[in-house]
Amino acid sequence: MNFIKKHGQNVCFAVIVLVLALMPLLLTAGVIKSTMVIFLGKCICFAIVAIGLDLIWGYTGILSLGHGLFFALGAYGMGMYLKLQATNGNITDFMKTGGLTELPRIWQAFEPLPMALVLLVLIPALLAGIIGFFIFRNRVKGVYFSIISQALTWAAYSIFIAMSPYTNGNVGITEIDPIVGSIRGAKHIGNLYLLFYAALAIMILIYAVAYFLVKSKFGRLLIAIRDGENRTYFSGYCVSDYKNFIYVLSAIIAAIAGALFVNFNGSITPSQMTISYSITMIIWVAVGGRGTLIGAVIGAFVINLCEYNLSSGAFVDIWQYIIGAIFCITILFFKGGIVGIVTEQLPALLHRRKENS
Amino acid sequence: MEQRSTVLKINKIGVNFDGFQALTDVDIKVKRNTIHFFIGPNGAGKTTLLDIICAKTKPTSGKVYYYPDSNHEICLTGMREYKIVGAGIGRKFQVPSVFVNLTVGENMELSLRGNKDIRGAIFHRMTQEEKDSIDAVLDRVGLLDKKDFKAGSLAHGQKQWLEIGMQLLQKPKIIMLDEPAAGMGKPETFKTGEILKDIKKECTIIVVEHDMDFVKQVADTVTVLHEGKVLMEGTVTECLADPTVQAVYLGRGGERNA
Repeated sequence: MNFIKKHGQNVCFAVIVLVLALMPLLLTAGVIKSTMVIFLGKCICFAIVAIGLDLIWGYTGILSLGHGLFFALGAYGMGMYLKLQATNGNITDFMKTGGLTELPRIWQAFEPLPMALVLLVLIPALLAGIIGFFIFRNRVKGVYFSIISQALTWAAYSIFIAMSPYTNGNVGITEIDPIVGSIRGAKHIGNLYLLFYAALAIMILIYAVAYFLVKSKFGRLLIAIRDGENRTYFSGYCVSDYKNFIYVLSAIIAAIAGALFVNFNGSITPSQMTISYSITMIIWVAVGGRGTLIGAVIGAFVINLCEYNLSSGAFVDIWQYIIGAIFCITILFFKGGIVGIVTEQLPALLHRRKENS
Repeated sequence: MEQRSTVLKINKIGVNFDGFQALTDVDIKVKRNTIHFFIGPNGAGKTTLLDIICAKTKPTSGKVYYYPDSNHEICLTGMREYKIVGAGIGRKFQVPSVFVNLTVGENMELSLRGNKDIRGAIFHRMTQEEKDSIDAVLDRVGLLDKKDFKAGSLAHGQKQWLEIGMQLLQKPKIIMLDEPAAGMGKPETFKTGEILKDIKKECTIIVVEHDMDFVKQVADTVTVLHEGKVLMEGTVTECLADPTVQAVYLGRGGERNA
């Protein structure tokens, strides 16, 4: 019993990983379709973003409504590399339409794979670092931070739309094959397995890093900052440095998730950069249970699986209302999300029942 | 010479909040290893003075000097607050501000000296020595048996003691306490006083407080502030005997505690 209490979230994570690892076998056996596996691959990416968001919101209490920006930056970075693979490093059609005659310098930087991988992490990290430096140094916090993060995302979205010769505007970067080669069709099923297991491995790695962080003194400091920022300053910590660190870290995690996501999705559009998309990410964390890493992972899977199954057919029109309602109910009655229900509210209920009888 | 006995020198401090003169030409010297009280009616500028010492508020004029030992002088005015903490000045706020979602032990862990940078926070593991010092301090403030309880579950008085303990653990030269006895009953207040007397051996304590019984119990020196100025300074008995002090303070705000 004590073991469950102490390692429950790791056990739960291990079960999720195990179930996911079995999916390709089910595909081979013909139980599920390859689209399902691709979709679960995307869910893995979402779970990764959610872990990052949980670090900054659940643990540190900074509500960022702009992590879609970092997700999209990572995704665009990977998308640019993959697109250049598809065109053999030549100028793309949309650039020609936009009036460009040769490949822009920024695109050239993304042609070699190592360079692309470095840049797709470095650019979001630098951006977050600079934004965070000014915001946290000036002690902007709470709802003001949320508003700024939202506004910046909106600004970036507008820029991406406006810079259409470079980004293909609204349409985004499309018709790209994953880094491992095409994953569509029975012929390429090996590629799909490779990509899926790679994504799974990255999720395990990110979870492990995040787990290590929150279990160290660093994690307790994040909670301390959330619960009493002033007290933390007067305990001798430079809180703004810590906030900036966790902001950059979660931006990097989001960028990695974005880069993976493009591989499964086959395209990246500015819609992943919108505010509503960033808020959706927040909903995953809230519903799963903020302040617990496993909650973020569960939330990402549950909400997306619901969406996958419900948003087609009869529910297509009202799906947005359902998710809104779930979010409101969670915030009002189940602050701890799904994890909170299992670890706190349910035991409390059982305890009460035992006392009554 | 004066450095030897003085640990903090408040020199001609003035503060102006958008036209309101909160403090005017305040000169105070705090002696080493004493319990020094700032008292005065509401709005006298007591908390503002603490804010200035720990750099939460910037003074309009004047400077605060701090003498960690007889050979060094540090000008606190203009320093950043977490650096002041590092230099050895701790502060407890009026409202108990412990980290409610962490256990008592974890609260203490965050208050340990050293490893305040990000790398230290991620990789440092507590040494046995540090664990022992936490237990020793918890024992002193009477919370050792509560070590694994969440700080949020403590009673009001216990939270105050925990916060004092957190200050102690940093081994500060000066501890500033803003109304440590607020909201406490008589026995708890008395116990707080005894804890402070015990701490005095190792550091200087500056206290802002209204409860006159508490002041009588522990104060070495009392500075009476009134409308942002120093009205008088002396022992408790001297201050209470002074007719001006009685008129401005004890005649009004002091009644409930008299």
